[in-house]
Amino acid sequence: MSFREKSAWITFVLILVFFGVYFTRVAAVIFAGHSARGLSTLFFVLVGSLIGLEVVLHLALAVQSPREARTPKDERERLIELRATRIAFPVLLVGAFAAIGMLHLPAGRWEMAQAVLFAIVVAELVRFGAQIVYFRRDA
Amino acid sequence: MGTPPITNRIRRLRFDHGELTQQELANRIGVTRQTVNAIELGKYSPSLEVAFRIAAAFKVPLEEVFQFTESTP
Repeated sequence: MSFREKSAWITFVLILVFFGVYFTRVAAVIFAGHSARGLSTLFFVLVGSLIGLEVVLHLALAVQSPREARTPKDERERLIELRATRIAFPVLLVGAFAAIGMLHLPAGRWEMAQAVLFAIVVAELVRFGAQIVYFRRDA
Repeated sequence: MGTPPITNRIRRLRFDHGELTQQELANRIGVTRQTVNAIELGKYSPSLEVAFRIAAAFKVPLEEVFQFTESTP
């Protein structure tokens, strides 16, 4: 498995786990009427931990394969990134329009912000997931 | 899946050049080993520039590395 593929796996899993935890709490607030108290703190703790873990795991990856880490992305890797972004962008658009559509629902600013954040997270998961699929397909 | 229209002789050329490894070839042409592997297996068609670099690495003309088999679209 190449350095870039491992990197995509790390980011994909971290986003899935950390934002999975966050949106489970958000869903409890929206659908089960739980209190939203402490959710902002949870958000910043999770994002901080995610960034920290990203850095640590990528450093470990770079130590494990230093030459690959130093090598710039080649044309196939850049193409894979572009293709994955092309797939993820419509997902982001649909999510953004769905969030705008919430104006017609009895939803507040907080719910709309969560909807936008959810769209961004799903689009990122699609982007890194697509990268992994393309890397696997070429392996 | 049918045979890809662009085939190559990279595996054979690596063998003829003292069993040159994919990593060594990758270093010479400035791509990753995984990309050399994908090209060799016909899963990725390289840009013209990389194709010429591969040919230059083996010191052979381009058509000795890559062959285009025309098929009905």
